[in-house]
Parts: sequence; structure tokens; C-alpha cells
Amino acid sequence: MTTPRNDSQIKVITGNAAAAIGAKLARPDVVAAYPITPQTEVIEQLSLFHATGELDCELITVEGENSAMNSVMAASLAGGRVFTASSSWGLVFMYDAVLAVAGARAPVVMVNVNRETPGIIAVSCGQQDMISTRDSGWIFTIAENCQEVLDQVLMAYRLAEDYDIQLPVMVHYDGFYVSYLSEVVDIPSQESVDQFLSILKTQPERTKLVPGQKLGCGSHGILGGYLELRHKHVSAMERSKAKFDQIDQEFMDQFGRSYGGQVEEYCMEDAEVVLVGSGSMCGTIKSVIDEKREAGIKVGLLKLRMYRPFPSERIIESLKGRKAVGVVDRSLNFGFKGGPIYTEIKAFETQMGGAKLVSFIDGIANTDITKANVANMIDMTCDLAAGKDVPEVTWVSYPEANEGV
Amino acid sequence: MSEKKKGKLSPVIDYKKHEDPFSKGVAFCPGCGLELLIRFIPQVMGNDIVMTGTPSCSAPVLLGQNNQSWHSLSYFGTLMTGAAANATGLVRYYNRAGIDNTVVCFNGDGTAADIGFGNMSGAAERNEPFIYICYDNEGYMNTGIQKSGTTPYGASTTTTPVAKGSRGKNLRRMNLALKMAMSKIPYAATATLSDLGDLAKKLLKAKEMKKNGFCFLHVFAPCPTGWGYDPAMTVEVCRRAVKTNYFPLWEAENGKIRMTKTVNKPKPVEHYMEPIKKFKHLDDNDRAILQEDVDYELCMLGGLSILEKECVLPEAAD
Repeated sequence: MTTPRNDSQIKVITGNAAAAIGAKLARPDVVAAYPITPQTEVIEQLSLFHATGELDCELITVEGENSAMNSVMAASLAGGRVFTASSSWGLVFMYDAVLAVAGARAPVVMVNVNRETPGIIAVSCGQQDMISTRDSGWIFTIAENCQEVLDQVLMAYRLAEDYDIQLPVMVHYDGFYVSYLSEVVDIPSQESVDQFLSILKTQPERTKLVPGQKLGCGSHGILGGYLELRHKHVSAMERSKAKFDQIDQEFMDQFGRSYGGQVEEYCMEDAEVVLVGSGSMCGTIKSVIDEKREAGIKVGLLKLRMYRPFPSERIIESLKGRKAVGVVDRSLNFGFKGGPIYTEIKAFETQMGGAKLVSFIDGIANTDITKANVANMIDMTCDLAAGKDVPEVTWVSYPEANEGV
Repeated sequence: MSEKKKGKLSPVIDYKKHEDPFSKGVAFCPGCGLELLIRFIPQVMGNDIVMTGTPSCSAPVLLGQNNQSWHSLSYFGTLMTGAAANATGLVRYYNRAGIDNTVVCFNGDGTAADIGFGNMSGAAERNEPFIYICYDNEGYMNTGIQKSGTTPYGASTTTTPVAKGSRGKNLRRMNLALKMAMSKIPYAATATLSDLGDLAKKLLKAKEMKKNGFCFLHVFAPCPTGWGYDPAMTVEVCRRAVKTNYFPLWEAENGKIRMTKTVNKPKPVEHYMEPIKKFKHLDDNDRAILQEDVDYELCMLGGLSILEKECVLPEAAD
């Protein structure tokens, strides 16, 4: 049972409400957003906070997602703290501005409520929107539950606006499962959040676009100038890994909750078999692991909390020397048979001390990743560890797929 | 600026109260209408404006390359899709932070009439307090002369070429300024480079009126390279556009339309088209269609400008 720490409040709220409350507590200057299922509740909540005076900010009720991202980009470059939220087609409709924000190193913070994306209209959960936008140059983090949504939004501001980082951060959480699920959430007080974010005020001010100051932004980067900026961007992405771990520690000091930074480990100390997962599926995986542990099976979970930059060092460190690893993807990697996160981890296979890898694809378009499905994945990974023949890729909820391909 | 006798000051020089923030030589074509305009705006409105610009003819100069630009203004180089949303973000933050500002969202007709129309319309609906200036060269001149929503009927462009079975653009142009004047914004106006006093007054009025919300200026800015006329003729082309009512000069304060220049005995639109190569292939029938379109737009403008006086609301029910 959660007990309030200091002056925090315990409430039962949805993931969307947690996102809105997290944003409100960060005291943004400008919020711009456009409704889309399953994100809509986030902006409804923020609009209500604004209407009641609880949230003192400029609220821009834009005519589309593209304008939402463009507005917050400009407000951020002018010096403001900003917030927006979207999902799926909305994220894709703002994609040119998503890229521009990253290139401009504008510390925009947003939540993306994961939903299936273009191709087939699917109003259902899936991480395909995250995968479709992963190469944008943003920092991507993934939250498992309502509490973590709120906490990651606060951490995102610390990360985005840090003087050494200055990159936009997108916090992802599963649509429908987390967005609409009501859970007990420990809501920190305004004072404690102010204190947590106050370190940003002690840092040097970032470059801002100020009237009359003979300073512009958004030049054509060409040749060497472009290379310089791109390399600085890549370097900042690399720095953000350790920074995220550090922020997690400081979050612990302030609020008494810690998640492990880039990755969270569950029952990993002696695990011989590991599932790698992200987002809401991790709750189910943890409870199945508890059951399997009671049956004497040494299984653990490696939960990705940061997806871009890819926490490769932490993943290698964590998976090295395990017997077998099953990577669960809630999205597809068109052009590859295995899921996207599987494919990326596969790139480090030679550094994992012989750990064998398999890909599980499940949870697409609201197909539930049930406890039975997770047990099935663990069993197959155990089979792999025992040297049995296991297919490289398994579509867990669509057995027909496993006969062909 | 040399001293002139009292009462004899040029109405144009009189308005140029600020330094030209642009380099003396910049990467525009000879006779560029856009260059005249972009130099004129800060000289009238002040060098503390923040300009936003997009990939376009203005981009090489306004946006610059790497850490160098060809002017000393604060500027924001951005995307065509979201130009008005960018200006919105800037002005909202400045106003919240108590920073004095005049944000000028400066775009070509490709952004204003085509790809960025949606967010411009949204900014107008929300009455965002900045100035949107569209420099209209009637097409995508920077990418190599393609058709846009403001390209007039009959004009030859690389996407409406003259060939067997094609006689240039076979659609009529969009009247962008009227659309914006219908958006219930505090100020909308048209202007061009042959009437700089008129343009200066409108720039200053927009700067004043933006405190009440969204202001829109549609500036006719011909392109010798894209349209095919002698670069020395740019201002003359503007003059002819006004004299033929091809591009009438008017303003709308709080939706009330008023002509700022009335043309008595306008010349036929043929007079405007004559020096311009993009119309050269047109025959009498084509010219008549363009004339009809010009007349139609003028009638619409005339009708709207008397609306205020003539409109009688039906009696309300008891």
C-alpha cells in the first residue's frame, strides 16, 4: 500500500490524468495541444486546470497537431517551458515539426500515448507510433503505469532543460491500457516539485530568441556547419544516458521512488532466462515471473525505460552471460522479421557472452498480452536456454504467422 | 538622409525612420520585388521586430547559412507547414513574459495560400497578436516557378506549362486577402511596391492594431525571373497591376472594407499583362476570362465595402 511521503496526496487517477498533473506541477509557460484518442483526456484536464486557475500558462487550442508542435517549439526557443501531448496519427501529422524541434535543440517535453499508426486505421494500443518516429533525434522514455507517467514527466523536464543536454523529451505510455486505467498515484506537492526542478535555475541560461537582440535561429546548416551541429546533437544524446540515471537517483532523494534510470531490473540477480519488455506489459510480466519463481524457474525482467538514446551499455551489462533472452515487441519492424527492439538488441549479441536471443511480437492493436501469453514466452525462452529448437520470431497471439514466414 | 525643404518630404523617405538591417548586396535576383519589400519593412517598423521565415525565395537571405545571416534582425527560420503556429508560440511567450514584441510572420504565397493556410486560418480564428505578411509572387519561384493558389488564370508555370493541350493554369486565382478579411480579424490589407506610402501606412497601422489581434498584409511582389519581364520593370508591373485593378489596394479594419486607392477609368488587364512573358501565349478569349475574374473580384470587394451601410437585418420576432 502506498503511503504518502511528506506532503504528497494519494489519489486514484488515470494515466492521462497523471500526465496532465505532472505537466501542471512543472509550471509550463505555454501548452498547445489537439485532441486525439486516446490522449484527449490529457488536454481536457489541462484545459480544466487552466480554466479553474490551477494552471497559470498560455493555453493554445490549436487547429491541428502540426501547429501544436510548431507553437511549443517557438515558445521554447523564445525561452519558455512548454508541454504538448499527442498520439499515433497526431504524432505523425506533427512529424516535420518534431524533427525541427530536435534540430533546433528545443527542450520541448511531451507525452505520446502509444497507439497503432498508419497503414490500417486502428484505434487501439501499439508502440508503432513510437517506432515510426524513433529516428527523430528526440529522447524517448517509456512509462509502465500511472505513477511512472507522472514521475517521468517531471524527470523529462530535468533532462530536457538540463544545460548539458538541451534536447526534447517524449514520454511514451500505452494507450487504452495506461491512458484509461485508474490506479493509485502518489501526487507530489507543488513545493517538492518546485524544489526538484529548481536545480535548472542554477544552470547557465540557454540561448533564447529575444526581440532586438540580433540573434536568429533556424539557419541552413551546410557542410561543416551542419556536421558540427549534428555531432553535438549525437554527443548530447549520449550524455543523456548517464544524466537520466543521475536524475533517477535525485528523484529518489526528493520523492522516495526510484526506477533504475535507463533500465529497470526485476528479479535479475540470478536470472538465467530474461524477458526484455517495455511499457504496460511489464506489470503482467512481473506477476508471471513471481509465479515462475515460486516454481523454481530463474527468470527475470529487463524493462526499458529509455528507448532513445538506446541504453546499449546498460542492456549489455544486464544481459551478459544469461542463458537466453526473449525480447517482447509491441510493434513491427517492417523489412525485418523480428521486432524492432529485438533487432536492436541483436546488434550487440556478440558482446553478451553467449546469451541466445529470440523475438516475441505481441500486444499489437489491443491484443492483450495475457499472463498465459507471458508464461508461454518464458517457457519458450527456457526451451532456448535448454538448447531446444525455438523459432527466432513468434507472433504470440497469431499462431497462423508462425507456420509460414 | 539629406535635409529637404519643409512640406516637400517624400512620403516614402519620411516613413523610413530606421536603418536598413540588411547587407548591401544579398543573394536575390536583380529586380526582385521581395528584396524591396524585405528591406522596407524594418526601415518602417523598426529593427526590434522578430521575423519568421520559411524555405522560400526569402530563405537564403533571411535564414542565412550556418552561423551567418545577411541581416541583423532577430529571426526564426522555420517550416512552411507551421509558420503561423511558430509566430503564435513566440508571441504567446513574449506576452506572458512581459517582453515587448512585434512578431512579423513573413511568408510567400506558397506558405500563405497553400501549405500553411490551415495554421494561418487557425491563428486568425484565435486572433493571435502578430502580423502576417504574405509576399505574393504568384507561385513557387524559389523551387523553379511552379503554380500556387494565387497563380492567376492562364499563367505559364513549370507545373502549368504551355504545350499541346495545355494553355497555362486553367483555374482562377485565390483571393487570399479577402479570405483573411472575412476572418473577423482586426486588420487586413493589400499593398504593393508602386505605392510605398500606402504600404508604409499599412505596416504602421498593423503594428498598432496587432495589440487587438491578428493582422494580415497581402503584398503583391512580382518576380522578373519567374514571370519573364525586364528586371527594371518591377515597380512598373506593380503600378500596372493597381491601375488595371488586377491588384486593388484596400484595407479592412475590424472587417470594414475601404479602398485606399480608387482607380478612375481603369485600363484593361491586357495593359498589365503586356510586359510579362507568362501571359504571352494567351489569346483574346483567355484575356477576357482573366478580365472577367478581375472584374468579379472588384465587384465582390465593392459589394463588401458597402455592406455595412446597406445591410438591413430582418425584424426580430416578438
